[in-house]
Amino acid sequence: MTDPRLSELAHLLPELKISTDPGDLEHHGRDWTRRWTPEPLAIAWPSSIEEVQGVVRWANAQGVAVVPSGGRTGLSGGAVAANGELVLSLDRMNRVLGFDPIDRTLTVQPGIALEAVHNAARERGLLYPVDFAARGSCQIGGNIATNAGGIRVIRYGNTRQWIAGLKVVTGTGDVLDLNRGLVKNASGYDLRHLVIGSEGTLGIVVEATLSLTSPPPPSQVMLLAVPAMDALMKVFAEARHRLRLEAFEFFTDRALHHVLAHGAQRPFDETHPFYVVTEFDAADERAEADALAFFEFCLGEGWVVDGAISSSEGQAAALWRLREGITESLAPHKPYKNDVSVRISAVPAFMAEMQDLLSAEYPHFDVVWFGHIGDGNLHINVLKPADLDNAVFVGQCEHVTSMLVETLARHGGSISAEHGIGLVKKPWLGSVRSEVEIALMRGIKAVWDPNGIMNPGKLL
Amino acid sequence: MKVLVGYKRVVDYNVRIQVKPDGTGVVTDGVKLSANPFDDIALEEALRLREKGLAEEVVVVGIGPADLTAHLRNGLAMGANRAIHVQTADAVSPLTAARTFLKLIEKEEPGLVILGKQAIDDDANQTGQMLAALWDRPQATFASKVEITDGKATVTREVDAGLETIEADLPAVITTDLRLNEPRFIKLPDIMKAKSKPIDVIELGSLGVDAADHIKTTHYSAPPKRSKGVMVKDAAELVAALKQKGLL
Repeated sequence: MTDPRLSELAHLLPELKISTDPGDLEHHGRDWTRRWTPEPLAIAWPSSIEEVQGVVRWANAQGVAVVPSGGRTGLSGGAVAANGELVLSLDRMNRVLGFDPIDRTLTVQPGIALEAVHNAARERGLLYPVDFAARGSCQIGGNIATNAGGIRVIRYGNTRQWIAGLKVVTGTGDVLDLNRGLVKNASGYDLRHLVIGSEGTLGIVVEATLSLTSPPPPSQVMLLAVPAMDALMKVFAEARHRLRLEAFEFFTDRALHHVLAHGAQRPFDETHPFYVVTEFDAADERAEADALAFFEFCLGEGWVVDGAISSSEGQAAALWRLREGITESLAPHKPYKNDVSVRISAVPAFMAEMQDLLSAEYPHFDVVWFGHIGDGNLHINVLKPADLDNAVFVGQCEHVTSMLVETLARHGGSISAEHGIGLVKKPWLGSVRSEVEIALMRGIKAVWDPNGIMNPGKLL
Repeated sequence: MKVLVGYKRVVDYNVRIQVKPDGTGVVTDGVKLSANPFDDIALEEALRLREKGLAEEVVVVGIGPADLTAHLRNGLAMGANRAIHVQTADAVSPLTAARTFLKLIEKEEPGLVILGKQAIDDDANQTGQMLAALWDRPQATFASKVEITDGKATVTREVDAGLETIEADLPAVITTDLRLNEPRFIKLPDIMKAKSKPIDVIELGSLGVDAADHIKTTHYSAPPKRSKGVMVKDAAELVAALKQKGLL
């Protein structure tokens, strides 16, 4: 460790684990995006709040930027360190600190994986309901920093709804103990909610108190084949009316094509333009009869043409794999990705308009749509044609983004539904937020992080 | 050829089993119940034989209480031609199940009986073997591949040493292992069609089966909780800790 700044850090915090190993730098310097070459100064793994504070104070003194780092499963470059930053990895702060059965809260360190939170809640007969495909690797601190959503938002809301308390180290190295698990706390600005979704630009989450809830009754998973886009929202409205929905997701035939090529089990013999995966409470035979009645009704209306239902938890998982396996199955095709939202009712008009624009300008593109349609959240993926030069493709995709931003603006939507702004969406923040809003955000950042060391260049 | 398939209902394998506080059994109220996974595989295999033209009729058989009907409807929705529901409110031991199947075989005269290698609730792994003995016909257990030609079944079995391929004259009993096939999804239109498929209901008592319990379960209890791990500083401390536990 020849860099004097690192020698100083090692001197100040002798117990702190630090690495400048090239493998570590590459691995911890990036997230699931691949646009930037990782080039951090070093990786540090603090194991206590005091060590996090120490690192932040050192960073202020030395003028080194800090990139807070969790599971790095993000898709917006929020955890990328490509400019000589210190990556502050929370991997070692991954324990459950406490459980209160009366408050029904679980207190955890930020580096715990989402799946470990699920398991800890389940062991106590309760549920932490925020869930998405990256659950095995993503960490709760990153979930909080991006206000992560996922597949059960329709029933349980985003991460924000489940944060009862936060301990945060600010950009000045101070520790805030926010809300302390209170259910009611009408005492001015709720700073906890500023931190949630702040993408590491205000401070570092060092402890979180999570609300838990009762597990839902047994559920069933249904896969529906939908013949047309305008039928999708009718099926959704009908399902929400008749069933207690846990999730309502859609994907296109192109998405299914890639998942099947990746080894998933084919659900139907014929292909159909759209598919819906929905999960709903099926506690008793009446609930199951309601589900069948819902299907028969939609079939009668011509809104669905085929369907399959899980007869076991294993089959439920197999049906979910058709939806959750999409991202992984697309990865080899170097997809251009966007994660956008519009009001639920505006989904078909927005999607039709966007698809028409794409077909007209880039008829050779393989465009894959999927997402949390019940939340108005769509993931659009454009796959790089094998014969197209990567640079040309990236250029064309930038134009796709402009088209997307304009179309979203016409429909009052957002360029980032749940992935965050990070580096990827930064040029487009102004399309979602007004100038006054952005000025206020900058002002807030200046107060929390006067030296601008917290994840600089991200979001703002 | 007619194929008889055992189709048992069990607590879903993803459910965390809880023992009733009084130790009389496990909690099944409000718990997801599903087909025994090996029975789903048995039914899938029978359906594939029918789709290949090697079987004409697939009959699913369930032994259990009156509310087993909904479960059997799933088997019909998956594709079975009809179902037989042998009704009894009592717990059914493997021997009783085998004797019941024997009675049904006498009536139905199937060319093949496919059962799961075991049910995941009691893990007995006995019914298929007992049935073959009572019926005095060949058995091919733990099947991972089944081929039917000229009144013979060529069955690849998963055994400890690897794979073993045997030939059995039909009629015979085959029990399924996990890798035999991947059961299909139940299609919703088929659930609607299954409503009109026949389910024969027979009282277990009327079959003349000796259902006496030879084994009585006296108590259920949960396995002991795993104790927490202990951190040791170095190899010497590890050796000392293991010695103290009498493990070295």
